[in-house]
This record gives sequence, structure tokens and C-alpha cells, in this order.
Amino acid sequence: MQKKYCLALLLAMSAGTSAAKADQNAQDNADVSAVTDQTMFEFGSYGTLGATHASLNSADFALDAPMPYGAGRSNYLSTSDNSLIAAHVNATFTPDLTAIFQVISEYNSNGNYRPEVEWANVKYSLTPDLDIKVGRFALPTFLDSENHDVGYSFVWVHTPFELYQQMPITSVDGVNAAFHSTLGEAENTVKLIAGQNTTETSVGIVDSKNIRGIFDNLDYGQATFHLGYQQRSTSTQSEIAGLYPGWLEASDLSAGFSYDPGSWFFKSEWLQDRTQYKTNAMYASVGYRINQYTPYIMHSQSSAAAAYDSSLPYMNMAQKSNSVGVRWDFMKNLDLKLQYVNIKLGNNSTGYLVNIPDNVSLSGKTFHVISAVVDFVF
Amino acid sequence: MLHSKLIKWGLTLALLFLSQAARSDVVVIVSAKSPIASLSADQVTRIFLGKSTAFPNHDPAYPIDQPQGAAVRDEFYEKVVHKDASQLAAYWAKIIFTGEGRPPKLVKGDKEVVRTISENPGAIGYIDSSALNHSVKAVLKP
Repeated sequence: MQKKYCLALLLAMSAGTSAAKADQNAQDNADVSAVTDQTMFEFGSYGTLGATHASLNSADFALDAPMPYGAGRSNYLSTSDNSLIAAHVNATFTPDLTAIFQVISEYNSNGNYRPEVEWANVKYSLTPDLDIKVGRFALPTFLDSENHDVGYSFVWVHTPFELYQQMPITSVDGVNAAFHSTLGEAENTVKLIAGQNTTETSVGIVDSKNIRGIFDNLDYGQATFHLGYQQRSTSTQSEIAGLYPGWLEASDLSAGFSYDPGSWFFKSEWLQDRTQYKTNAMYASVGYRINQYTPYIMHSQSSAAAAYDSSLPYMNMAQKSNSVGVRWDFMKNLDLKLQYVNIKLGNNSTGYLVNIPDNVSLSGKTFHVISAVVDFVF
Repeated sequence: MLHSKLIKWGLTLALLFLSQAARSDVVVIVSAKSPIASLSADQVTRIFLGKSTAFPNHDPAYPIDQPQGAAVRDEFYEKVVHKDASQLAAYWAKIIFTGEGRPPKLVKGDKEVVRTISENPGAIGYIDSSALNHSVKAVLKP
């Protein structure tokens, strides 16, 4: 898989170099090059170092679905929940032809930090209002789907898990077409996506095919509106899939809103996931900026999965959480965040906890998670 | 004698204050050859954050930034875009690491910005108003 991408990138690079030369000849006497010329390759990195404590001794709190262990039963203090590092390269072959390649190392389903290709795609702008991406790119289900690993880019310690964990697929291998338009004072982008995905989780490999989606992003002043609809066929090796050999049809509807005039912000998102079950999830958060400090609060929740067919096995990850935290921009390109989350599991729910012994019931349990992280970009 | 000295001092101080006030006035400029006469803060914000690649008349827009740490840059982003240096860095972290775009080209110093923009009708930048000359025009005085 990775070899294929390297090859595609190399091809794109050689194509880009010759295209760049032709472009330069054509524009020799055009003066725009003086204001558009940038270096062809730009390297960057981002990451997070963190420690997490969960008040649990009969299960582990894992931030991402594929993590086998976390804070709680296995570790009093876990550094795997919130730590990752990524290397990134942006290539600008011509103003219209660009590529990105990003590798990320974070705690994964095998219990190690083996680096994986996060993004690898080539983007071509057919017109200023239409561009096409081919390769591995983000599935923009949520407002922060594309940057959910870049802790420095948002205020919280992590994206709200009740919502973001409803969508185990974060990337797509395929084609992405983006249409930009200006509607009066608003900027609108519609993305059409088609492709496939393979995700390793702690219970097995999840294959998704025929992923297709339409996503709209509207920026108006300091407000952003986001809407998405997607469908896919998913195969899992978990016990639930065992009852349903073949492919499960899944669809998701998502909506988001954010308002950020600079001195404060409000952000809220919602998702409805439909497979053989129907699940709703949402969060709302407000924060206030005082110099280099941004204190915030958040409420986040996911509902019990309601089965359309009563013969289906019971599946329940319902939980509610309330968070309070602060981001401190203490140095250029560095931040420090502290967060306290109080989580209440629904009746008969195990939430998003992992490593639960068979004889333990967590129904209705309340616990808290405390995290301290440092995010960086350079 | 003492009286005239005091007046002199007073005048010097007043001039200092005036020049100080003038010094802290950022203006957004385009080339004198550009057909653009004025822009709103929202329009300028969209161009500098890469959300829009064109002026309202659909001509392509090429934003010119000044380097991090320049006082005029901080003033521009605070007054026009309503973001401080770390909010801006957080914004670009999202854009860069998703391959959605790159920050504007950097040109150092008001003089060099004026020179670059005067030669490029599609360029847009910001300088201290004291560096204005006939080769460029102010399209927004925040």
C-alpha cells in the first residue's frame, strides 16, 4: 500500500517538475510569479506529549477506538492515550499542482507506535474553483476531522470522543473533488468523495468499500456551518458481524456549527449513525480567551444504539460527559493543556472503555479522566 | 526665554505623539494600478486566511505577509483578522497539515512590501501608513 503511494508521488513529482518548467516559460514576462513563488518542498512536524489518569480499576479509558490499553485498570497514569508525533511534507510543483505526504506514529491496535501513512495525496486545481485530490485524504465527517490529530490546532486536549468515536473511519483512499463558490459575503465548499478504507481495530480489521459522501462547508464572517452525508459498505470481523456475514450498509448524517469572533468561541456538532442500529451523538463547547489562556467547558453525549431489528444482540455505548479545561499558549508554537472530564455511562453501557474483565458490570458507572498535554508544531 | 523653550519642548512632544500615533496605523494596500478602490475587513480576512483566492471583482488576489514578530503584522492580524499570533499559528496548523493550503508569501519590511505590490496589480499587503507612497493605494484603514 505504502509503496504504491510513494510511486504515485514520484510520478507526480516528475510530472510537476516538467509542468513547472513549461509554466515558467509561459509566464516569463508575467509579474505574478514574484508574488506566488514559494519553495517547492516544505517540511513540518506536529505532535503531542501527554499523561492521562482515569479513576477506574476495572477497565481502561482509551482515547481512540483501536487502542488496546489506556489509563485505568492497566496504568495509573497512561502516556499512550494522548501522545503522538507526525512528519509532514507539502510539495508545490506549480501553483495548481500540489501534494502532501504525512506519516504519524501513535499508539495503535497492536500496542506499539509503528508509523503509518496518515495522508498521501496529489491535488490538482482544474480551475480556481475546482480541485481534485487523488490518494489518501481525510474523510471530513466533522469540523475537525481533517486535523483531529493536530492538538495544536484546537483548544481542547482532544476532539470530543462521544462524537468523533462514532466514526471509526478517518481517511479514504480514493478521489475527492472540491467545488468552491462565493455566495455574497460567504465562502462555500462542497466536497464529493468516493473510495475505500481499511482500519485495524483491537477486535480485528474493518474493511469499508463504496464509501461515498457529500460534505458542505460554509464560512460566513466568523461563523462556520458544516453538513455531511455519507454511505459505505462495512465488513467487520467482530462477533456482531459474525451474525451478519457479508457487508453491512452504513450511513451517517452530520452537522456542525462554530462561531469564533476571536475573544471567545462556541462550537457544537451532531451526528446520526445508521447501520442495523441507530445512534445519535453531539457536543457543545464554549471558551473564552484571556491573553494566552483559553479556559473552556464542554458537554458531550452519545445515545444508546437502538436496533431496528429486536433479534440483534444488545449493543450500548451510551455515555455523557462534562469537561472543563484550559489551553495556555506559553511559547511560540507550543501549548500546554489541562483537562478534567466527568463521564457517566448509560444503563448497561460500557461506553468507550476497553480491557474490561468478563465478570464486571460497569452499568451506570461515573468516573473521571484528568489529562495534561503539551502540543507542538514546527 | 524659558517660555519659548517650554513651547519648543511642547511642540516637540506633540510632534512625537503625532508621529507615534501615525506609526501605529496599519493600512491595507494594493498597487496604484489595481482597479480595487476599497475592501471590507471581512474581504481582506478571507484573502489572508486563504479562504478566498480572488478579489470581489474575481481578479486573482495574492496576499503578501510580513514575517512573524513584525509589529505591523501583529497589528494587522489583531485589528483586521481578530486573531493573535498563537490563534493564527493554530489556524495555519490546521490548514498546512491537511494540505488545504499554505500561508501567504512573506516579504520583509514596509518598503519592500510597497515595492513588490506596486509592481503587481494582483498583490495585496499591509504596511504602516507612514510608508505609503504614490505607487500604492490604501484600500482599508482599520
